[in-house]
Amino acid sequence: MKQACEAAVHAVPGAAVIELAGEVDGAAAGVLNAAYEQAVDGGGPGTVVLDFARVGYINSTGIALIVSVLARARSERRTVVASGLSDHYREIFDITRLSDFIQVFGDLDTAVSQLAGPAA
Amino acid sequence: MTSLAGPDGRRLAAFSVASEPGNERVALARVAEAVAASGLPPARLEKLKTAVAEATMNAIEHGNRGRAEIPVDVEVIQAGEQIIVTITDLGGEHEPEGQAEEPDLARKLDGEQRARGWGLFLIRNMVDAMQVRTDGPRRTIQLSMRAGPAGKPAAYPAASEGGPDEAGL
Repeated sequence: MKQACEAAVHAVPGAAVIELAGEVDGAAAGVLNAAYEQAVDGGGPGTVVLDFARVGYINSTGIALIVSVLARARSERRTVVASGLSDHYREIFDITRLSDFIQVFGDLDTAVSQLAGPAA
Repeated sequence: MTSLAGPDGRRLAAFSVASEPGNERVALARVAEAVAASGLPPARLEKLKTAVAEATMNAIEHGNRGRAEIPVDVEVIQAGEQIIVTITDLGGEHEPEGQAEEPDLARKLDGEQRARGWGLFLIRNMVDAMQVRTDGPRRTIQLSMRAGPAGKPAAYPAASEGGPDEAGL
C-alpha cells in the first residue's frame, strides 16, 4: 500500500531539518518543495538536512526531486546534507554521485551534532 | 504470456499489472514475495526490487503510455542460482524519455541535463545483467540476478515460446 510522502520541518543550531517519511517518488514533489520553502523561509540557515530515516522507498523520480532540491540549494549557496539512509539507498546515493555533493550522516543526531561543531 | 521457464527453470510467478501510476510498487512486492525463498541475500533483494520497480515504471509510462487497459506482464523464473525477471509492455521499440544519455549529476546540477533520466541507469547498476528485446509491439526487459554472491551470470539463450513452465534456459 502506498505511503504518501510527508515532511516535518524544524530548526536546529545552524541548520533546518526536513524529516521525510513514506515514499519519495514523483508524487512527493509538492511536499518536498514546500518543505524546502519552509526550511529556508526568510533566508534561513545555510544548511538543510534531509532526513530519510522514515523513508521506505525512493525511486528514480524521487532521485530527480532530490537533484532539483540540491540544484536550488546550490544556487542559493546553501549546503544540503542527508541522514538516515538505509544501506541500499546509501549505495544509490553513491552510484548516482549524490554523495559527492551531499554529505551523508548515519543518523540525524550525528548530523546535528556534527553541524553544531565541537562543544566549546 | 511468453514464458522463459525451461527444463532447468522454475517459474516462481507470472502476473500482470494495469498501466497505472504506482503499480510498479505492486510489481516489486509480488516479485519480492516470489523470490523470498530463493536464497537471494537481503541486500541483493533490495537491488532487484529497485530494478523491477524502475523497469515496470518505464513499461507503464513509456511503453504502454499510461493506458490502464494495457497490461504490463511480469514473469519470475529461477534457474539454479539465477533469478530472472522479465517485464513486458506493448510499446514496441522505445527509449524512455531522457534516458538515452548517461546521467551526469554535475551536468544536471548545472542545468545541462534534465533532473530526471535515472531509471535505466539505476536498473543497469542494480542487477547482474539486463537485456532488452523487441518482438513487434512486445518489448521485454530481462533482469538477471544471481541468488548468491554478486557476479555476472552466464549468457542466456534467446527466449523461446515454451509452455508455461518449460523452455530452454
